[in-house]
Amino acid sequence: MKTQTYSLNMGPQHPSTHGVFRIVLELDGEVVVKATPVPGYLHRGIEKLAEARTYTQVIPYTDRMDYLASMLMNWGYVAAVEKLMGIEEEIPERAQYIRVITGELSRIASHMIATGDYAGNIGGLTGFTYTFRDRERIMDMFEMVCGSRMTVSYFRIGGVAADLPDEFFPACRQFISDLPSMCDEYDGLITGNEIFQARTKHVGIITPEDGINYGITGPSLRGSGIAYDLRKVRPYSVYDRFDFEVPLGERGDCFDRFSCRIKEMRQSARIIGQALDNLPDGPILAKVPKVIKPPAGDAYAEIESSKGVLGCYVVSDGSPKPYRVHFRRPSFINLGMLGKMCEGWKIADVIAILGSIDIVLGEVDC
Amino acid sequence: MFGQGLIKGLQVTWHEMFKKKVTVQYPEEHAPLAARYHGRFQLDADKCIACGMCANACPNKVIQITKEKVGKKQYLTKYVMRIEYCLFCGLCVESCPKDAIAFSHIINMNQFYRDKVRLVLVDRPAPESLPEGEAAEPDAGGAAAGKAARVQQAARAQAAAGKAADKEGE
Repeated sequence: MKTQTYSLNMGPQHPSTHGVFRIVLELDGEVVVKATPVPGYLHRGIEKLAEARTYTQVIPYTDRMDYLASMLMNWGYVAAVEKLMGIEEEIPERAQYIRVITGELSRIASHMIATGDYAGNIGGLTGFTYTFRDRERIMDMFEMVCGSRMTVSYFRIGGVAADLPDEFFPACRQFISDLPSMCDEYDGLITGNEIFQARTKHVGIITPEDGINYGITGPSLRGSGIAYDLRKVRPYSVYDRFDFEVPLGERGDCFDRFSCRIKEMRQSARIIGQALDNLPDGPILAKVPKVIKPPAGDAYAEIESSKGVLGCYVVSDGSPKPYRVHFRRPSFINLGMLGKMCEGWKIADVIAILGSIDIVLGEVDC
Repeated sequence: MFGQGLIKGLQVTWHEMFKKKVTVQYPEEHAPLAARYHGRFQLDADKCIACGMCANACPNKVIQITKEKVGKKQYLTKYVMRIEYCLFCGLCVESCPKDAIAFSHIINMNQFYRDKVRLVLVDRPAPESLPEGEAAEPDAGGAAAGKAARVQQAARAQAAAGKAADKEGE
């Protein structure tokens, strides 16, 4: 019997797309023949907006890219401007450590959402409430540190905006000591669940070659067994001083990508613990001029964000405003392979695959 | 064995029944806010020297300042924040050399109408001459008079802020 394919819009309004994202699915019955991602619904033109603002004024806008890990977004931009100004070496030790602590907390918060949201996508909405309950503690800590919960704007060119308050330390220590038990809870509730495993194991495999060819980074690549973590392979800031492991997957399927994130949370907690122990005293901001005017030229800096490698390219023409800012957003680039990954799977698996690469639309559309 | 994972998951949720609640009944109860919380802005009009650094620091041109020259000093007559465009990033607070602008813990800034959203922190006419104690250096006499004037001014600023701010505000 001859059958026809038909097309179906998944999104832009769909809870599992983590925002406003559309996938045009060409279906043969329930099987996906072709999947075409259509991003752009959340485009705000942050790169263009940056051109009309001074270097410091861009920082609040970077928060709004990956709003689930805004500390790391700040870091990517600030690192590029510091490189442009040539003051990378002058950042005070204490500021570097504070950046590591808050950045890793941000990574945990982002992975918690990825974990809980993925459980929700697969059909176990209970998992969502558990990770959100625990993420709330990180949000409270950010509130202590910088007054905002998500859009932190905490990093400054040359350091950070304010020192860590006294009440932060007990809260943070308590949190990192509780984190392993939290992760055990997620493992018990989500990872160990047979239905969850049946839905995610051997689904949406990214082979190591494909992962590299498509430029996938972050936990999505590490799930395929490639040990590529910028914090290890090209340590920036003070990451070379910490003892941590890079968790890897074996098969590169949805389950591996998911479980990599839970393992990464445990490693992040280790890093935070070491950073808190060795937190030096001193200033938190390098000596930077009030009006930041980097010399004409360009700079590109990369950091390991929660979704992958966040790159930031800044061009200066010597004026107080950047001539051009470009962000290499890991979510956007990881999406590139989505069409290929979805082919041959059923509609329900599309949701499992999309959730497993953990995109956030603020970052995809920028 | 099939089903083991499900039972383990049920155990996790079962244990949760006996734990303390993490939510608060919002309108009746309020979760405590951190000391640095970014709530509604407040301006100490006496400290403000109308230098306009906050307006320059703002990424969205939220702050509009009107000032007049009284004697030798700049006198702040109007301080309006187009709060609908505010990102609450805190760059204005950070840039203030006199710590005049600060965050408060007031969080209910919602309004029914768009034209009520605008936050007027100071709206006052410029005096003919600055009151005594204001114009003179702090170590000069008439401190009491100066203090009284300052209190009066603060009250006026507060009234102006209250007028524009929401009526349900604390």
